[in-house]
Amino acid sequence: MSTFSVNLSIPFPSGREAEIAYQVLRVDKEPSRASIAKNLILDNNLLQISISGTEARKVRVALTSFFDSLILVTETMQLFGPPVPTYNYY
Amino acid sequence: MTIAVGFEGSANKLGVGIIRDQDVLSNVRHTYITPPGEGFLPRETAQHHRECILNVLQKALDEAKIMLKDVDVICYTKGPGMGAPLTVTALVARTVAQIYNKPIVAVNHCIGHIEMGRLITRSVNPTVLYVSGGNTQVIAYSRQRYRIFGETIDIAVGNCLDRFARLLKLSNDPSPGYNIEQLAKKGIKLAPLPYVVKGMDVSFSGILSYIEEHLSGWLDSKEFTPEDLCFSLQETVFAMLIEITERAMAHAKSSEVLIVGGVGCNEKLQDMMKVMCKERNAVLYATDERFCIDNGVMIAVAGLLQYKTQGHTSWAETTCVQRYRTDDVHISWRE
Repeated sequence: MSTFSVNLSIPFPSGREAEIAYQVLRVDKEPSRASIAKNLILDNNLLQISISGTEARKVRVALTSFFDSLILVTETMQLFGPPVPTYNYY
Repeated sequence: MTIAVGFEGSANKLGVGIIRDQDVLSNVRHTYITPPGEGFLPRETAQHHRECILNVLQKALDEAKIMLKDVDVICYTKGPGMGAPLTVTALVARTVAQIYNKPIVAVNHCIGHIEMGRLITRSVNPTVLYVSGGNTQVIAYSRQRYRIFGETIDIAVGNCLDRFARLLKLSNDPSPGYNIEQLAKKGIKLAPLPYVVKGMDVSFSGILSYIEEHLSGWLDSKEFTPEDLCFSLQETVFAMLIEITERAMAHAKSSEVLIVGGVGCNEKLQDMMKVMCKERNAVLYATDERFCIDNGVMIAVAGLLQYKTQGHTSWAETTCVQRYRTDDVHISWRE
């Protein structure tokens, strides 16, 4: 069975903003019915995402949903930022 | 002094509320209203929340005359509720927590209703009737848990009312329940509907099916008008709720009742409950639509109590869950 995968690299104005997006987006797990694998990696000011699965439709849904969330996080940072340098409540 | 902000978005209401200790500084809400005959679905509701949440947050901050940096703790609804809308509010709560380096607290929606009801009405240890579009429970407190004495075994009472309103194509603005309540005032004849109390539990889906089956016949023959049916449905389902509340009060030897949840702002329900309370020499505590209907303040109130006794929620736990029972929560702030 073939696998469909999407790899993206999203640049942020600063490493801290990329880190916030990474921390905020990594918490929610994909629903188990989605049967896709999602992996987030933080690389300085880049947020790297890879989504893969055996059904193209499900990969597309996961990608759309990721962008919905990412846009909301970046809009929140634009309106309520800039962020303080560190987070102490993990 | 501690300032808490609460984010609520588990169903079609999006709310942000801000409190300073026990004082409400702001309570802003925006409701996703669907056309008559249609309910709200997860995807569209989440879309609504995404479009509105930053404006609602800004408005709540403006009305409270504070900035996010002044906030001490960020609270959000973890569940129960619809997954996609819950996730929207959790994302924004986590992002602002990161931007301002603030602790975050995950709150059970039902506990939010109960604690805010207790705060607003100053009731001490009430038997709680929690009635909304997603939940129907009779609750009493014992040994650091809100114990569920009785509940619906299928759909929530508010869901039954909402779906009945859809059958009649009533407006969803401001809410289906409010429009049923107004029409019911003009109802005269009581239609015989199933009355379904099973011990301490209630069931509503059969009542709805029964109405679906007979509706066109009743209306075509003019045996009952839509007003009669609104009146009959309210009388029947509210009587069921009052029966199980009264039984829970007898078990818990309680002389206080608190009604919370969106259906709780129905004045007919409050009046019927008042009659029962009077007969038992009990006191009824209820709130109006500002606090009954889902809002951000309730999340801030419960979140602040939880924060003061248990501290913040660990980052990896700041997720959302669609199912989260009232009696799962350890009530560390009560004796």
